[in-house]
Amino acid sequence: MYRLFYTPTWFNGWDVVFDVVGLIVCLLIAAYSWRVYRINRENKFAYFSLALVLVALGFLSKVFTSSVLYFTPLRDVVAEVLQPFTGPRLSFSSLFYRAAFFIQMASTLAAWIVVFFVSQKARARLRRFHEVAQIALFAYLLLLITVVSNFQYYVFYLTSAVILGLIVLNYFKNYLNTNGNRNALLVMLSFLFILFGNFFFIFVFLSTSLYVVGEALVLIGFLILLYTYTQVKRRKD
Amino acid sequence: MASRRSRLELIFDILLAIQNKGGKIKPTHLMYKSNLSHKLLNNYLEELIRRGLINTEEEFSKKKQKSNKSVLITEKGLNFLAEFRRMREFTDAFGL
Repeated sequence: MYRLFYTPTWFNGWDVVFDVVGLIVCLLIAAYSWRVYRINRENKFAYFSLALVLVALGFLSKVFTSSVLYFTPLRDVVAEVLQPFTGPRLSFSSLFYRAAFFIQMASTLAAWIVVFFVSQKARARLRRFHEVAQIALFAYLLLLITVVSNFQYYVFYLTSAVILGLIVLNYFKNYLNTNGNRNALLVMLSFLFILFGNFFFIFVFLSTSLYVVGEALVLIGFLILLYTYTQVKRRKD
Repeated sequence: MASRRSRLELIFDILLAIQNKGGKIKPTHLMYKSNLSHKLLNNYLEELIRRGLINTEEEFSKKKQKSNKSVLITEKGLNFLAEFRRMREFTDAFGL
């Protein structure tokens, strides 16, 4: 049987709260990045904004499915709405959870891919045609992995961890290139925590406690990101 | 060799040069501080005046018997400087 939820009973609902925090942080930074794009018209800010919106979409999907699972009134309402698709007595309800998980996977992996590309410096990129080919290859692999991950939960988090590792490396380079900029260090640390969280999600089949640790680490990552954002917004001189 | 400055960076350099001079500067000094040609600087000054980021004023010098033109930064110009610094910090922090 394919398992999608590893939350210990005592943690039910708390992971929803943690994910909502992440969702809000992503939307805040996405909004500011979009504002910067409107001012200077540089596409990388629009792409970064899009990436964070995709992460937020992934969180939204996870929050929704978890909420449906944990909260009976919500489950009853959703069951009523989805009965034409999920069949009598919700015999095909697993399709709903699989579809939502697919949305979470596809949007989150797409987001990490975009963040990886925009966090690279221009000199590290290939010439334009090759860059398009590189993006197309990644998009194909992303689609393939998303389809495969629909059968293996840990494959998604393994892929996510690999891409996040590359992102952390990019941000480490950025930290060095900006001569030790404190905010650049914080961004690197935030993605490092998100990476560690994903590591724990890979091994969640061993113990549900690892899910709690993973969620906590991801939350810390996004809180560091939120703190960095507030520091940037506060800058006046 | 340093890369070419973007339009926004040029505007930032002009406004920063004015701010560093206490908010008021002569056009000639501004030209040297911002490292722009006379023609290019005038183009940008026209645009900045149109956008309300700077003002110009003329003072009559009794000694030299001629009017001296000065460029002043406005409140809007100061806000732009602050916003640009935030944008640059955002760009550096997120590696964009």
